[in-house]
Amino acid sequence: MSEPILKISDLSTSFFTNEGQINAVDSISLSIDQGEVFGIVGESGSGKSVTALSLMDLVESPGEITSGSISYRNAELADTLREEYPDAVDGAFVDILSVPESVRRSLRGPSFSMIFQDPESSFNPSVTVGEQVAEAVEVQRRARSNPRSTHAKTRGVEYSLSGYLTSAVLPSKRFVTTESKERAIELLEMVGIPDPIKRANEYPHQYSGGMLQRAMIAQALAGEPDILIADEPTTALDVTIQAQVLDILSELQEDVGMTILLITHNLGVVARMCDRVGVMYAGEIVEQGTLEDIFEHNIHPYTAGLMGSIPALDNVGGRLHPIEGNVPSLLDSEMRDGCYFADRCPKAMEECLTKPQAFDGPGSEDHAAMCYLATHEYEEEQALPDTYFDSSTEVMTDD
Amino acid sequence: MLKFLFRRLLQGILVIWGAITILFVLRAFSPGDPAVLMAGEGADDAYIEQVRQAEGLDEPLLSQYFEYLLNIMVGDFGFSWEARREVEAIVIGRVPATVELAVAATVVALVIAIPLGVISGTRRNEPADYGATLFSLLGISTPNFWLGLMLILVFGVWYGIPYPSIGTSSFSLGGFAVEYPNSVGLGLFDFPTGRREIGFAAAVSALVFEQSVSELGTWVRYITLPALTLGTYFTALITRLTRSGMIDELGKPYVTSMEAKGLPRALILYKHTLRNTMIPIITVIGLQIGTLAGGAVITETVFNWPGLGLRLIDALNARDWPVIQGIVLFIAIAFVVINIIVDALYNYLDPQVRES
Amino acid sequence: MISDRVKSNLKQSLSESILPKIGLVLFIVIIFMALFAPVLATHDPTSTGYFDPESGSAYPPLGHSYDTEIAVDGEFTAVTVEANSTHLLGTNTVGQDVYSRLLYGARVSVIVGISATLLAMLIGVPIGLLAGYYGGRVDDGLMRVADTMLAFPALVLALALIGVFGERPIEIPDPIVMAGFADGMPETIPIPGTVTIVGALVIWVWFARVARGEAMSLRNAEYVKAAKSFGTSNTRILLKHVLPNSMTPIIVLATIQVAVIILLEASLAYLGFSGTTLSWGYEIERGQDYLRRRPWVSIFPGIGIMLAVISVNLLGDWFRDALDPNIDQSKRGA
Repeated sequence: MSEPILKISDLSTSFFTNEGQINAVDSISLSIDQGEVFGIVGESGSGKSVTALSLMDLVESPGEITSGSISYRNAELADTLREEYPDAVDGAFVDILSVPESVRRSLRGPSFSMIFQDPESSFNPSVTVGEQVAEAVEVQRRARSNPRSTHAKTRGVEYSLSGYLTSAVLPSKRFVTTESKERAIELLEMVGIPDPIKRANEYPHQYSGGMLQRAMIAQALAGEPDILIADEPTTALDVTIQAQVLDILSELQEDVGMTILLITHNLGVVARMCDRVGVMYAGEIVEQGTLEDIFEHNIHPYTAGLMGSIPALDNVGGRLHPIEGNVPSLLDSEMRDGCYFADRCPKAMEECLTKPQAFDGPGSEDHAAMCYLATHEYEEEQALPDTYFDSSTEVMTDD
Repeated sequence: MLKFLFRRLLQGILVIWGAITILFVLRAFSPGDPAVLMAGEGADDAYIEQVRQAEGLDEPLLSQYFEYLLNIMVGDFGFSWEARREVEAIVIGRVPATVELAVAATVVALVIAIPLGVISGTRRNEPADYGATLFSLLGISTPNFWLGLMLILVFGVWYGIPYPSIGTSSFSLGGFAVEYPNSVGLGLFDFPTGRREIGFAAAVSALVFEQSVSELGTWVRYITLPALTLGTYFTALITRLTRSGMIDELGKPYVTSMEAKGLPRALILYKHTLRNTMIPIITVIGLQIGTLAGGAVITETVFNWPGLGLRLIDALNARDWPVIQGIVLFIAIAFVVINIIVDALYNYLDPQVRES
Repeated sequence: MISDRVKSNLKQSLSESILPKIGLVLFIVIIFMALFAPVLATHDPTSTGYFDPESGSAYPPLGHSYDTEIAVDGEFTAVTVEANSTHLLGTNTVGQDVYSRLLYGARVSVIVGISATLLAMLIGVPIGLLAGYYGGRVDDGLMRVADTMLAFPALVLALALIGVFGERPIEIPDPIVMAGFADGMPETIPIPGTVTIVGALVIWVWFARVARGEAMSLRNAEYVKAAKSFGTSNTRILLKHVLPNSMTPIIVLATIQVAVIILLEASLAYLGFSGTTLSWGYEIERGQDYLRRRPWVSIFPGIGIMLAVISVNLLGDWFRDALDPNIDQSKRGA
């Protein structure tokens, strides 16, 4: 068993809006091993994407990481930072929430990289794809070649308005160099874009969705990241293209041994790609474990519900079993004390009105579930009456 | 691209033809005798009769119209009976001053507005943003002739900064002593009329051929306040547009994606979002050239700046229709031409339009 | 015509931001000044000769004084002109009360601004609706005319129109004075008639364009198609369905255009082409030649114009933000 590369503990991210505090991510803990594909699965609005953005430090105002730590294993980085930020470093691990913004920024690219759900809106429409991929290459190249080598990995590349103005006049002062452009073309070729030299000079609107998603993967690979975060990488694509994109990710994982955090609402993708899975609901990881734990030995009725809601291919014409009700409001003021799923849970009991902790599950040693059913069987006499939560009976829509 | 330009050019010609027609119709159906209108104020009957003959005003309207159209096509804008000169000569003589003023105002506007808009748009709800918002609200709401006078008051009169202030304008009230200074401070700038000591071309040629900077310095000193006056509305407008454009662009997913690949913030701001923000703003600037021309009329009057606008006001006071018509038509043609150029630029900058 | 949703949006943005509040208060103050100018004024705005008797010069605003020279027996003596308590903001260069003229100036601005905008709406909206609704040649023709009109800068076109038609004020009777509530005030006030008409001719094309766009999109709306299928006449559809539903953007546009007209009127008056002297713009021009010693003559009317335009612009922003659901949807899902 390989070592963890990322340990997240008690991470909370909240949005402070006019309507009140929204707890998008609510003290989640998980650990991701070197070289594995970890899946986070859940309905939309369950906090999956905010988790990803929190890892990247891209949560935008009014959102804020309110507590927790994200320990990232990188011996070299730990050595560089040990003197300056002794509190942040623990062995080979660095708590990236305890280092300044500039250091976290410098981790984007070489340490963490991300691909997004909608490739079409994730590229600037008025700059060529090749140029945008080359920028990602260039920024890493400059970081590495920074003469102040001890700081090279912890300080961002400098750029200013005057730099931009000069580059507008002098082609030689442009941010992106020829080498980076060549490397960008190599990357495009690597992700299977045909005729990459020609396509590098094309604009995003000239690409198909699948091609653009490949280009985004190429862009994410530019810094040779330790961890690739893929946020719904196939959702916006046609089914046939989805498979191709997933193949590319699988190959990467096998060839380079890249660690991938895959965020999706699609259990088919999870089953195909992931080694381990965390199920998110209302900002919490309600159940996590190996693929087998989740698919075969799941305990949490929500996980079970998700499984029920995949249309099985051998059951064509059979009915879907959607989970009744909606994802609850994540407004701090409206959240209950007990289990957040209790109002939709077919097996809610009286003790579910107090919050369950993460209990060990029956599966592998990693298996854990935030549900009392992990400790004992469902007892009908303790069941909450159906009308207890006065919940709406709308059918969950899964988009 | 060529096809687009051709179509746009054709449209432009149509608009100019329309403009010529409107001006002709205005004259043809003006109340009173067109010959009186053409002859200018204070002409006697014999002279009016002479004008009527010479201009063919007794001919049928349709033939007058075609005559007028043909003349304009060959660059003959008519004859000013008041000034006794060709209208096109009058117009061309006044163009440099106005172009200098308009370009200087645009430069002032862009130099101030874009950074201000960027700061305001990237630091929402911070003091800098409130300041920029207040500035742009005041800027689009202040009448520029008043702004010009206030600038003269503050710079020229109260602080005694040597700056050439206004002289009497030809239509101001007579009979009262004129008290405000023709020159302030050093007395170096005592000019009875004409507030543009030297043209830009002359200043530059002095710099190049005689290595003399003072001409250019004079030019700059003279154009500063008029350019600020004319440019303020523009500055305020572009600040507003840049601010909302930046906010819009920065909210787009591609910005997050660029953050994720580790690009420096400044690179994202300037190379990507600002550029994308400017693309639509360029079109607005083109359409606002009209406002700039209108503002130039006022600014030139305030500062006695010898451009087209001041000449237009003089012509209006003398009821010198051929000159009024010539200047108005020239401004309309300039507007159309500038907008064709702007559209071409827009096409060049926006790949989505360019490639399709 | 104004739905509950729109009303609640308006209320919400009024309570959320300070700017609409400022705009509304300013607007009410200016309308109040304009309506009750004869009652609020301290002097007949047209009577001249309120000069300091010693120097024969204009009074400064209250709390100020200035030095000037008078000729006594061929020799110049320096005298200080003190403010006169009846002339709050002093008097101008022909000895008129600045405060009273400021109030009447508000009247002229408000009347011209609103009536020219209404006139432009009356011309532009029907043309735009017809062009957009029927499309085809009418529409093409309108668009070409619109393009042509837009090639003329507003002020330049207005000047050309005035060059042909001259400038003519319209004397309109003052109901407050007629009713005997304000004795000694002028019974009629001159409104720059040509400027009003010219202003409308300059801006109508914006209304036509907006109305056209709305009509074009509403033409294909389901309820319009349904009405057509019931055999409802086109006139009825235009009046009952298309017009009411296109009012929102037209109202937003109208608000902004009032500001444009106020500035246009002021500019024309400043240049001396409005045909009336009772105008903020004209007052500024009048003070311009005496800027050093008597700056108040120009300063106050300028502030008047600025506040009027700011108020209308703020109202316009308020309406636009509240009525246009597409603005500021920058909140992104998590």
